[in-house]
Amino acid sequence: MAEEIKKEPPSTFKVTIDNITIDVAPGTTVLNAARIIGGDVTPPAMCYYSKLKGSGGKCRTCLVEVAAGSTADPRPMPKLVASCRTTVMDGMIVKNITSDKVKDARAGVVEFLLLNHPLDCPICDQAGECHLQDLGYEHGKEGTRYEFKRRTFEKEDIGPYIQLHMTRCILCYRCTYVADQITNKRVHGILDRGEHSEISTYISKAIDNDFSGNMIDVCPVGALTDKTFRFKNRVWFTKPVDAHRNCENPDCCGKTTLWLRGDEVFRVTARKDEWGEVQSFDGKPGWICNTCRFGKKKTADWEVEGLTKISRHSVISQGKYDGLVMPKETVTEVMGGRGPKLLMHIHDESGVNNPAIDLSKINGPAHSDTFDKV
Amino acid sequence: MARKLLLDKVNVPGIRSYEVYRREGGYRSVEKALKMVPADIVEEVKKSGLRGRGGAGFPTGMKWSFLAKPEGVARYLVCNADESEPGTFKDRYLMEFIPHLLIEGMIASSFALGSNTSYIYIRGEYAWITDILENAIAEAKQNGFLGKNILGSGFDCELYVQRGAGAYICGEETALLESLEGKRGNPRIKPPFPAIKGLWDCPTVVNNVETIAAVVPILNEGGEEYAKIGVGKSTGTKLISACGNINKPGIYEIDMTISVEEFIFSDEYCGGIPNGKRLKACIPGGSSVPILPANLLLTTAKGEKRLMNYESLSDGGFATGSMMGSGGFIVLDEDQCVVRNTMTFARFYHHESCGQCSPCREGTGWMERVLKKIENGKGEMKDIDLLWDIQRKIEGNTICPLGDAAAWPVAAAIRHFRDEFEWHVLNPEKCLTENFGLRHYADPIHVPA
Repeated sequence: MAEEIKKEPPSTFKVTIDNITIDVAPGTTVLNAARIIGGDVTPPAMCYYSKLKGSGGKCRTCLVEVAAGSTADPRPMPKLVASCRTTVMDGMIVKNITSDKVKDARAGVVEFLLLNHPLDCPICDQAGECHLQDLGYEHGKEGTRYEFKRRTFEKEDIGPYIQLHMTRCILCYRCTYVADQITNKRVHGILDRGEHSEISTYISKAIDNDFSGNMIDVCPVGALTDKTFRFKNRVWFTKPVDAHRNCENPDCCGKTTLWLRGDEVFRVTARKDEWGEVQSFDGKPGWICNTCRFGKKKTADWEVEGLTKISRHSVISQGKYDGLVMPKETVTEVMGGRGPKLLMHIHDESGVNNPAIDLSKINGPAHSDTFDKV
Repeated sequence: MARKLLLDKVNVPGIRSYEVYRREGGYRSVEKALKMVPADIVEEVKKSGLRGRGGAGFPTGMKWSFLAKPEGVARYLVCNADESEPGTFKDRYLMEFIPHLLIEGMIASSFALGSNTSYIYIRGEYAWITDILENAIAEAKQNGFLGKNILGSGFDCELYVQRGAGAYICGEETALLESLEGKRGNPRIKPPFPAIKGLWDCPTVVNNVETIAAVVPILNEGGEEYAKIGVGKSTGTKLISACGNINKPGIYEIDMTISVEEFIFSDEYCGGIPNGKRLKACIPGGSSVPILPANLLLTTAKGEKRLMNYESLSDGGFATGSMMGSGGFIVLDEDQCVVRNTMTFARFYHHESCGQCSPCREGTGWMERVLKKIENGKGEMKDIDLLWDIQRKIEGNTICPLGDAAAWPVAAAIRHFRDEFEWHVLNPEKCLTENFGLRHYADPIHVPA
């Protein structure tokens, strides 16, 4: 009996991610534990969406190395694991940005994701808030090694509000989970296999239900875009403000972000958190209905609460000086106490800043000889 | 002549019918099993040392003992007959010519695992075998070996045959379960493993056809007797489907003590290479396993004779060894082009990738295109390194083993036959009409003293 009590798992698990140790509840995934720490330690996630059951594991961008499985069994895991679908164990040691294996694999995954992506960001409405853009910027290479024809699809009409651009899709499956879990009828899914798989409705039906617009919010790329906002404006020229209204639909939370230019409402989206997911209110994900999203395009329809907080890193923050959120810096902790190192201590190495030399007294332009004399 | 356990009765006329099969001693194992305690049967299989015949070679008894047994939850046994690996056709032969052996094994295994509803998930293209199996199931049912209260033991078991729709990926056990549930055949993310949460979220065991058939001789003769056949951890007999440039392609039941050399060249088995050609390379376990040049195939890097068993074939790891795999033994003679062979495999995996996770979805197609480029005399030296880099980024980073299976053949071909790839790049005209040939691949390997 006494032994059994000893074996009872502790109420919190200690997990170390990139040299930062935290306590989390059992059952937490490695990704969510990393999100609690925040900053660079958090692996990027393209397909995982905490509000959608069953999502994750597909894009492989969140792969991490498990250097020690747990205190009880400290063996490392043989392969990199998808952090979004791996639950933490007590004493687990995870390496993300401190592992070369992970960085290499992630660069590979980014390359794979961009292989058939059209990179039409200049004409894509998602540009500026696209997760693939961020991912490519942070982990990708400047060029591609792919020299064959890229895969393209015909545009498909799936109703009056949403445009489907299959060519841009990275097959994260999030939108099919939305259809399954928050709308009452699923009419779309994945057709075909392998490279040719595509999101589609069977057969070319319109998606018609009150919550279909949330598919746009969960899409990490520009595959699903808002037809009422298409080509109207770039997101970084608009000003996001938090607003709410009393929605008649009981399942709609009514709390939204309005994207304004002057007094004009260009588009309405659900409120997103720092991971690009919809925020939860009272423990429920804040999905919004199509009436709020597409039907209420006047400021008079809304009670504006104030500016939406925007990450300083986001391009949307350009030209906005209020409500910026500074990103968390974890470098010092990850590197075990030492701060970021400059590649070259330019001021120590060069005599350019030597106060003994008065540049105004030199005849002609100064060059290295001038400083070497001292 | 080696002892046969699975195919010894296959040539008896009319063995497909219940009467003849029963007369030849069939269904004895079921009668014996029903008098045993299920846990003892699992113990017996453990003692036999039987390893999964589907490719991974995981000990079957251990797999069975992992099966969760929560109260009031159904358990399932699923037979994986979705044999689609290029080069592998052993299960087809077994099911087509001696179907009752599989049915018998299924009933005995179902009893051991406590499964009252068991499934045979068969490859869609094996349509005619579905009829043969269903016929056999009907006969077994008429004679009281299936249905309610089998042989008065109180054990109920129903057996169903489900045809797939022609996807290789549905041979991956979790994709198979998804498909069996009527969904899109995408592999599930593991854990949880099927032994905990499988078919309809119930504990499930998925076994290969040959594995389940092997339970019959294990029960008839006892696990310890079975373990005496073979060598080391490779116990019992194994079906090998031999094909390619050999005089006698076909199914051979071997005990795992014979050498690869004997298997290829003796008249009892493959009967040597036709037309007086010489052996260049061999893929010893179906398209997914690494290809080996003749010298490394016949002798291990340590200079020992390579045997046809799990340990010996994988001796030296992937650097100088390969894998037993599913037993699809593909032999290439000196006239075969390794680049072309690799391209054919890459095309297969490109076509069969389910498209769920990005490295496999995008990488398999990319590898195929680069290989096609090299094969068609348009390749550059950097393409070979590129191929190596792509396979490295697919391997181990995917949800299911299909990514690994696509990466390994490419990796092994470049590892062992890099000069043939380079020859293709350097001779863009010649490679369209001629072959690289044998060169040094059949030379004895240098063994450091």
